[in-house]
Parts: sequence; C-alpha cells; structure tokens
Amino acid sequence: MNKMWIVARREYGFNLRRRSFLFAVFGVPLFTFVVWAVIFLAIASTEQNLDDIGTVGYVDQTGVITDPTLLPDDPQLAVPYTAYDSEESARKALDARAIGAYFVLPEDYMETGTVKIYSFSGIPGALNDSIDALLLANLSQRLDSDIPLARIQSPVTLTIHAADTGRTLTEANLPALFFIPLIFAFVFLMSSNVTSGFLMNGVVEEKTNRVMEMLITSVTPMQLLLGKIIGLGLLGLTQLVVWGIAGFVLIRVGQAAPFLAGISFPTDLALIFVAYFILSYFLLASLMAGLGAIAGSAEESRQYSSIISLVWIIPFFLITTLIDDPNSPLAVALTLIPFTAPMTVLLRMGFASVSAWQLAASIGILLVTALLVVWASARVFRWALLLYGKRPSPREIWRVIRQSPDTATVTARSPQEQLS
Amino acid sequence: MPPQTAIAVDHISKSYGDFRAVHDLSFEVYGGEVFAMLGPNGSGKTTTMRMILDIIKPDSGRISVLGGALTDATKDRIGYLPEERGLYRNVRLLEMMGYLGTLKGLSKAEAQKRSLALLERLELTEHLKKKVSELSKGMQQKIQFAVTVLHDPDLIIMDEPFSGLDPVNTLVLKDLLLEFRDKGGTIVMSTHQMWQVEEMCNRLLMIHKGQQKLYGAVEDIRQQYAQNAVIVEGKGNWAALPGVARIEPTENGRKGAVLYLQPGTTSEQVLAAMVTAPDTNIERFELAVPSLNDIFIRVVEGDAS
Repeated sequence: MNKMWIVARREYGFNLRRRSFLFAVFGVPLFTFVVWAVIFLAIASTEQNLDDIGTVGYVDQTGVITDPTLLPDDPQLAVPYTAYDSEESARKALDARAIGAYFVLPEDYMETGTVKIYSFSGIPGALNDSIDALLLANLSQRLDSDIPLARIQSPVTLTIHAADTGRTLTEANLPALFFIPLIFAFVFLMSSNVTSGFLMNGVVEEKTNRVMEMLITSVTPMQLLLGKIIGLGLLGLTQLVVWGIAGFVLIRVGQAAPFLAGISFPTDLALIFVAYFILSYFLLASLMAGLGAIAGSAEESRQYSSIISLVWIIPFFLITTLIDDPNSPLAVALTLIPFTAPMTVLLRMGFASVSAWQLAASIGILLVTALLVVWASARVFRWALLLYGKRPSPREIWRVIRQSPDTATVTARSPQEQLS
Repeated sequence: MPPQTAIAVDHISKSYGDFRAVHDLSFEVYGGEVFAMLGPNGSGKTTTMRMILDIIKPDSGRISVLGGALTDATKDRIGYLPEERGLYRNVRLLEMMGYLGTLKGLSKAEAQKRSLALLERLELTEHLKKKVSELSKGMQQKIQFAVTVLHDPDLIIMDEPFSGLDPVNTLVLKDLLLEFRDKGGTIVMSTHQMWQVEEMCNRLLMIHKGQQKLYGAVEDIRQQYAQNAVIVEGKGNWAALPGVARIEPTENGRKGAVLYLQPGTTSEQVLAAMVTAPDTNIERFELAVPSLNDIFIRVVEGDAS
C-alpha cells in the first residue's frame, strides 16, 4: 500500500475518535432535532388553545358584523362567534365560562380600528387571525364591488420564477429561500474548519513532539501532506454524509409542520456545494498544513487559523448586500476570489442564480489556487518542519517557495517525483 | 563479512547563514560495524545524521546510503532514533508502534506481532495499553528504541541512545544492540559516554566545530594517542630502572605510578629490567593507553588553545 494511504487511514481513524469530532457530527444534528421539536410542540400547543377557547363572544357597538359566520373556508380560522348586547352580558358569559373570550368593537371603531379582547387565558395568534378575517369579510360586504372575497383577503400569492435557471419558488417554500443557503453555508464552515483545524493541530503536535523526524525518515513530505489532506478530507465528507442524512430525515419529519411543508432538498445547490467543498477544502487544508509547519507553537497556529477563518466568513458580514443585489460588482468580486467564493456562491445561489461564466471562472480560479497552495505548502512543509522554536520571516518563506539555489534544505525533486 | 560500505559521506558541507555546521566532512561506515560519532555539543553530529537520513540536504557533497542515494525502499531499511524523543504522547503504545511500523513497510499484523515481542523483551508488556505520556523517561527511551528496530532494519542511526537510561536499562539496550550487530546489522551512534564507545564500537569519527578531528578504528586511535609510558603497581625502585625518564602518580589517584620512558626505550625492555631487578614485586603492568575520554578532552582543549 502506498504510504500516502497509510497516513490517510491513520489520520482518518485517529481523528474520527476525537471527542470534539463526535460532538460536531452527532451533537449538531441532535441539537437541531431538539430545536425543531420544541418549535413543533409550541405550534401544536397554540393550535390546541384555539379549540380550548371554544365559542368567542362579541359586542358590536357599530354594526359592522352583519354575519358572524362569514369566514374564509380555512379550518385554521373557524371559530364559532356569538353576539352579545352589552359588555356586561358578555362579561357574565365569560365569568360563567360559557365563552372563552369576547371582543368589543367600540363606537369609534370605524375611525380608530380599536378592538378590545377579554379572556382569562392568553389570546392565541390564530384567534387574532380569525377575528381579522371575520372583520375583513364583513367590512368588504359593504363595498359595492364584484371583487371575490379571496382576493381581498389575500391579494398576492407569490411565485418567483428565476428567469435563467427555471427554478420556481412559491410562497409556500419561501422559508427555503432564506434557510437553505444559510444552512449550507453553516455546514460548510463547520465541516471544513473542523477538519482543517485537526490537520493544523496534528502538524503542530507532530512538530513539537519531534515525531516529525520519525515520519519524514519514513515517508516523503509530499506523501505526508497529501495523506493528511486526504484522510481528513474523507473525515469531513463523513461528517457531511451524517449531516446530510440527518437533514433529509429532518425535512421528512418537517413535512408535518405547516411552515416547513414547502422545503425540499435542493439537489442543484447540493451538487455545487460538494464541488466547492472539495476544492476549497484542499485550499484551506494545505494552507493550514503549511502554516502549521511554520508555526512554532500551538498558540501561534491558532492565531493563523483564526485569521483564515475570518477571511472565509467575510461574505456573511456582507449578506444583506448579497441579498439586495446578488449581481452587484462586489458580489461578483467575492465570487471570483477563491477564499470568499464558496460562501458567496452558496449565499447568492439561494437568492438568485449565478451566471454560468461566473460559476466556471470561480471554480476554475479556486482549482488553480488550491493546486498552487498544495504545491507551495509541500515545499514550505519540508523546510519548516525542523525549524524548532523560531519563526521564519515572510521573505524566507517566499524564498523557499521560489526555491532559489541558496536554500539547499529544500528538496530539489519536484513534488510529482516525490509521490512516485 | 567483507567490509562493504553502508554509508559513504563524501565532502559534505552545511551552513546555516553564517554558521558553519558541518565543513568538508568525509567518512565511511562499513557494513556490520558499530560506528561512533563523537564530538562536543553543537559540533555537527546531529546535522550530519540528518543529512545522512535526507531530512536536510547538504549544501555540497554527496552521501550514499546502503548502496546509493536514499530512496523510499532504502528508508524502510533504516531505523532512526532522534536525539529528542519523537513519539506521539497521547496515543496508546501499541497503536503508535503499529502506525510507525506500517510506515516502514510492515503489514499491520506484522507490526503488531513484532511490537508485542519487543515490548516483552524490554519488559514493558504491562504498559502496552498506556500512552507515552504516562511512562517514565527511561521507559520512553526504551519505546523509542523499540520503534527504531521494529521493522528489522539493516542500518540503525541513533542520536544518543543511552541518554536518560539507568545502568540496568543501559545494559538491556546494549545487549539488544550487540544482538542486532551479531545478526549483521550496522549501527551508527553518537554518545557522550566514552566507555560505551570503548566497549562497543569498532570505529569512530570525532568532529569538532563541524570538522573532522579523529577518524579510524577505536584501538588505532588510542594507540596513536598513547605516550611512551607504562603504568606499574607494586613494590620496587622504579626510578633506578634504565630508560625511565620520570615518574608521576596515576591521574585519578589510584594505586600505582606512570613511568614515562626515554625515547627509544620500549615497554618490553622496561618489563624485562623490572623482572630482573632485586626486591621488586609487580602487581600490575600495562601500557599507558589514554582513555577516549582523555583523548576527547585533549582534542577539544587543543582546539581551544
């Protein structure tokens, strides 16, 4: 077996058992499950309240309500209403628990729109909606028009058609518009940062433990670097698969909840996601490995990695700009810069389509950058591994990458040859 | 076994900025011998070893190991014990040895089997489920040694293998090394314990400030540094013997005296004179061959003056 794969297998197996990894893999979906379950139960409990409240009384001092059964055909809004002559009689009925609540339309209702509601328990949101609909229906009776009630109640039912991709978003799956890209961006950030963080820590640990000397007398720096990148990349993919399955199950379960009913698994976004994940993982991981080799201590390496993470999430800070104008020059620029491309594309894709040339250019630039960084890291890697306790200057690092003849510590062989 | 060359170092030099770590060094290590690399701290021993192992490249010169430039296949035939311990601290012994063994070309099962055998040999079986960080310094050193020979290499290069070991463990390690040599293995080691060199090593290289100071068979070098003198213990009037120039007490205050001989006088002639001299009782008679320790100090101090 090629030694690169031995390294990959070890990195995968060792880090798979880390507590922090297991927590990320299983803890995050579990946490999401719990949050969703709480929301689910909360909704279920408010629905229960509408049934509990039973009949609702009203005192109409302006004569707006001509027909208390005039309601849209929606079970969510169906409430039996009873008229009362005065507030006193309504109050008695409420005290006697004959009704769950009553509301009063005062004489100045037409001018002010003020409605007072009385109840011993809280007023569920659905009751608000129902009274709203009842009043709207009764008020519209007075209009001399042939406009159907349904249009007055809901003049807009939105269906967004993305002109170039043919992707259709209806009002019902509007939540998907906002949540899915955010979820993808979050998953991306978590997964790639966790795994590349492991990589950096591993390198720093091996360097400070001096195991590095044992390793590079057994394998070439390139085998070691690629083995680590591949092993931890597979670990990241494992995490994604677990999360993907969890997401799929969540969406299936979520179909039962009305506000999530519209969400479906966005396959096109997922494919783009995987492509960007693999490429930018290579970029991030090799960068982290190179910096880990240069860093003199664990503390120093953490500083480097936090700077990199910060660059990575710049698009998040600009999210409103990206939503407002997904095709602005700034958005295009962030799409082309390899470090911000993954986040930007994911966020943009949710709100509008990204043109094919931009996508191709973005992926192309990312690919070339990733290859360059892997190559440069391999050079720096070997040279920096034995720099115990001293930090090289950026100039020295640059010199090693360019490999001028006076740095003979750097291997003269090309990375390709070392692999064989 | 014919003295085939295990390592050939040919005029290598290495500088770090203005600091000349190694300067124009050449030597050979023969197959099947125990070769010592000596020198004060910072003399370039570790740098030389790292160049042999291709961890760093020399600025100039050539190195051939086990018959050529170092390749992946050759790396599997070499064991290396670095000066500062190179072990994973938070991984269980068996797992760590398994990993390092497979990196040297062993199968997983083989690495496991050999690890168990070595741990038993080193009396560490009860610790095999422990992590390195839970072991004492001496035990860690034994583990480091076990990793060095785990894949049954042809050549082992050890940077101060005995540092941090108590006399009992030193003996255990030495037995293992001699066993390795008896099976035809080649050993290169650096050490500051000169008596180890006298006991174990066939040949030595001494470097100081990156340059070669002594190189050759241990016995030859000692003879080369021998002055024309003998050490005698017993009773007799040594000063009256013909050919004796002067008498001094032995260096470390032990019994006996050092007799410095006049040029042209051999130790045999003095011994013959002693045997025939009246009222003489000889308890000890030996050539005053300096210890490597003395030679070491003489070379380093000679350089300083």
